[in-house]
Amino acid sequence: MAERYSSFRSGSLSWLLQRVTAAFLVVVLAFHFFLLHFVHHPAEITLAGTSGRMSQWSYFATMVLFLVTATFHGVNGVYAALLNQGLTGTRKTAVKWVLIVAGTLLAAQGINVALVMNGLI
Amino acid sequence: MSQTYDRGPVEDFGRWREFTAGMWAWIFHKFTGWVLIGYLFTHIAVLSTATTGAEAYNSTLGGLESLLIVRIGEVGLLAVAVFHILNGVRLLFVDLGVGLESQDKSFYASLVVTAVIVLASVPRFMEGVL
Repeated sequence: MAERYSSFRSGSLSWLLQRVTAAFLVVVLAFHFFLLHFVHHPAEITLAGTSGRMSQWSYFATMVLFLVTATFHGVNGVYAALLNQGLTGTRKTAVKWVLIVAGTLLAAQGINVALVMNGLI
Repeated sequence: MSQTYDRGPVEDFGRWREFTAGMWAWIFHKFTGWVLIGYLFTHIAVLSTATTGAEAYNSTLGGLESLLIVRIGEVGLLAVAVFHILNGVRLLFVDLGVGLESQDKSFYASLVVTAVIVLASVPRFMEGVL
């Protein structure tokens, strides 16, 4: 079989960005799960430990980039899936802006939390 | 480069018995993606307790981790994340036209490897509640 199944139109900018963020997320999501479930057990996590990790700038930057790329990848994926179901016209525009606003709020709140954990706020 | 395929009425789940491996992979990837973006909103909401102080953060995370249902949910989340990662890697290769002829086999491999990783992780995820 040689059919290609995807919610994205191959070659579009959203398709390319979805693939670029995917390549990054594959590595960082696996790292995140491994670090916070196997190196440290979630039941043992405290704000002191979290702040210790987040005060390392490389870790902080990786987590912020993780949040931003995951938010984009998720929201862009949902939008593509909905377009794929036949969303058009006013509803398409409304859904696009709801997703943009939701994604922006999520990233902003996540960065706010990261800055608190880092000690900058 | 692979060709775009008109999936036709894949959304007509009444004909699920006719679905090929590629169709199932597409449906599973979409489902796990919806779960992951939904979880991301929940995750940031829980972590936001850090903004109100250490006591709120520690008691919220500790309280959630003491619940068996949360641990079971975490195992489910692991399954969803591992499948999405493995199938995502598979999709990157498929989009590059690599291994297109064996994409059904790579989908089955994604399922098997997901199952192995999740089953091997269950003891770690259940530490302290079972």
